[in-house]
Amino acid sequence: MTVGTRSTPAVRAASGRRAGARGVSRKAATIAFLSPAMAVIGVFVAVPIALTFWISLHDWSMYTPLSEMSWRGLGNYRDLLAGQEFFTALRNTAIYVLLVLVVTIPLALALGMLLYFPKSAGKGLARAALFSTYVVPAIAIAIVWGALYAPDYGPIAQAFAAVGLDAPAWLSDPGTALVSLVVFHVWQMIGYYTILVIAGLTQIPLDLYEAARIDGAGFWRQTVSVTLPLLRRTTTFIVLIAIINAIQVFDPVYILTQGGPAESTTVLSFAIQRSAFQYGMAGQASAMAFSLLLVLIAVAGAVLAAMRRRS
Amino acid sequence: MRITGVISLGAALALTLTACGGSGDAGKDGGKQTISFLTHWGPEQVTALKAAASAFEKKNPGVTVEVRAVPFANLLSTLRTQGASPGGPTIAGIYDLWLPELVRDGLAAPAPAAAAADLKANWPANLAEGVTKQGAARGYPNEVDLYALNYNKKLFAEAGVAAPPKTWDELVATAAKLTRRDGGKVTQQGFGVITSWPAGVVHPWLSLVGSNGGALLDGSTPKLDDPKVVAAAELYARLVKEGSTQSSMSSANANTTGPYLDNFVNGRTGMIIMANWWQSALKEAMGAKYGDVGVAPIPVGPGGTASAPVSYSWLTVVNGKAPAARQDAAWKFLAFLNGPDSGRNGSSAMGDILMSMGILPSRTGDLTAHQGDLSDPFIAAYVAELPNAKPFPSVLGGEAMSQAVQKHVENVVFGKETAQEAMAAAQKEVADVLTKAGA
Repeated sequence: MTVGTRSTPAVRAASGRRAGARGVSRKAATIAFLSPAMAVIGVFVAVPIALTFWISLHDWSMYTPLSEMSWRGLGNYRDLLAGQEFFTALRNTAIYVLLVLVVTIPLALALGMLLYFPKSAGKGLARAALFSTYVVPAIAIAIVWGALYAPDYGPIAQAFAAVGLDAPAWLSDPGTALVSLVVFHVWQMIGYYTILVIAGLTQIPLDLYEAARIDGAGFWRQTVSVTLPLLRRTTTFIVLIAIINAIQVFDPVYILTQGGPAESTTVLSFAIQRSAFQYGMAGQASAMAFSLLLVLIAVAGAVLAAMRRRS
Repeated sequence: MRITGVISLGAALALTLTACGGSGDAGKDGGKQTISFLTHWGPEQVTALKAAASAFEKKNPGVTVEVRAVPFANLLSTLRTQGASPGGPTIAGIYDLWLPELVRDGLAAPAPAAAAADLKANWPANLAEGVTKQGAARGYPNEVDLYALNYNKKLFAEAGVAAPPKTWDELVATAAKLTRRDGGKVTQQGFGVITSWPAGVVHPWLSLVGSNGGALLDGSTPKLDDPKVVAAAELYARLVKEGSTQSSMSSANANTTGPYLDNFVNGRTGMIIMANWWQSALKEAMGAKYGDVGVAPIPVGPGGTASAPVSYSWLTVVNGKAPAARQDAAWKFLAFLNGPDSGRNGSSAMGDILMSMGILPSRTGDLTAHQGDLSDPFIAAYVAELPNAKPFPSVLGGEAMSQAVQKHVENVVFGKETAQEAMAAAQKEVADVLTKAGA
């Protein structure tokens, strides 16, 4: 009977109303809790992206209000595809990103393991020293690297000379300028990625290593069969962040090479800045920026999809 | 750097400033006015400018002058992000290449009748003409810069060269004599060029073009495929091929310093074409060795009859977006700053500031007042070349044009293009740039 009483239409209706009220209240709470974050994302991410796209459909020198921009439709995108500048910048950016990834990821993994597994007293100090390069502003360090890279009379060139080798011209040669910037980037960012690797290593249960050792696995076997597979999520994150950071490189290019010599270090971020602020072609710059965003989304999607398939 | 944010943030900033622009005194025409002066000068010159502003404020109690200094590399971007706002800089010191765009977009206000008359009476006619756009004077010309051959007299003596080259043939021969090798490696280059800096690449090269009877533009039509222009690119290619010019010693950085400067001041470059403004940099970097620096006219090419260095100027403009009363106050301050009562010995304060940097002032009275300083051998050589100077073309799209030329001249220096290929490509690109800019 009690059950029957509970299941009367009136009770069901009351229960439904309560569930509905709970649903409404949960919705309201969800909106209330998410609104601040969504508002911040909307104002600082969605609106600028939409504005960038809107500007990319216009001609605009930035000297006039947005309301005075002249409509160009997809003309800026057509110009990008017709000219060389965008593709030169895209090619340089792709080479830069690839070089950064090829060097950074293995190096960060190696350094992370080196600074996590051995029981030595100086580990904390070494981690702090490694991370410190990431903390110092890039502009300040870029100036120092400019002096280090000076051809012939710079400290690095002198070091080469001391062992009887001819140093490359570093930033002064189109063949080595981009690689020189990669070296600088790796030096600056490696500490950050290493710390991420160490954070990932702390999540791997030590029991697994013990079990592996009991099964007769040596260091390499443990690394290949335990460490690297269980670091996959961390590695995926590092790869993504490294790609994004590398694609967005700007400060050292602006300070050290201004895109030269002979356009060899003109990466997309610099080309965007140059178009907007030096040439007064903010529409074209926005078209480049929006295209870069699409490239970033595509690359990130591809990396995530590849990683998911593997796992 | 958030790429997507950069442009849009600038846009949003401009929009916000436009919407919210104007300080508290904006609407009080005739009341107290605060004007701002945007400059790229260094601390010493900013101090002198502030002193002139204080003197002006004493005579004009209703006006306050604020000085905003930014590095040279940030000057144009500051103008772009802040210029459209009434709260942006009221006065800005600008490179004349930027003027056409500023005039088109209404940021360079036409000078009032008194300032226009002042210009006509006290500046050389060609300079007053240079700041006149769309039928009105747009500002006060300040510094004038032009190019000349700088050479190291000590290296010349060591190489047994008695005098600087007067022709391109002599330039090639002298550069070869000045070049030193240690085994296969060049340790001292005869003739230095600059890379990775648009003006540093284009102006010296174009000075050689002009001295060969060529020109970058004929009106708004590029002339880069003219044989007289191609010949200057071939000259660079020859110097590089013979080892007299080392591309690895050429680069500049964002501060317009770097290896090209270091190599000259350290006696590893025999000759280089540079502008008068770098005198202060040479003095500072070379110390006692500054005395080794000699200056000579640009060597004349086979197609030319006389040295024809490139010149360019800087001017101060008043923001056409500022409220009328603030614009009036700004013109009044500029008249004072450029007038004979603000400086020493009949010079304007502007003339004194420019001379403190080794830069040629443009006001006739300033040239007279600083005659003693202008007789300095380094400066005097540039002053002597002023009548021969050809102004760099100030057209819409000028900055993009300049960088297109830079790219192809650098391609010649680094052996990525032949002289003919480079000039043919530059001709096409510059034509596209100018068409798109509406020059």
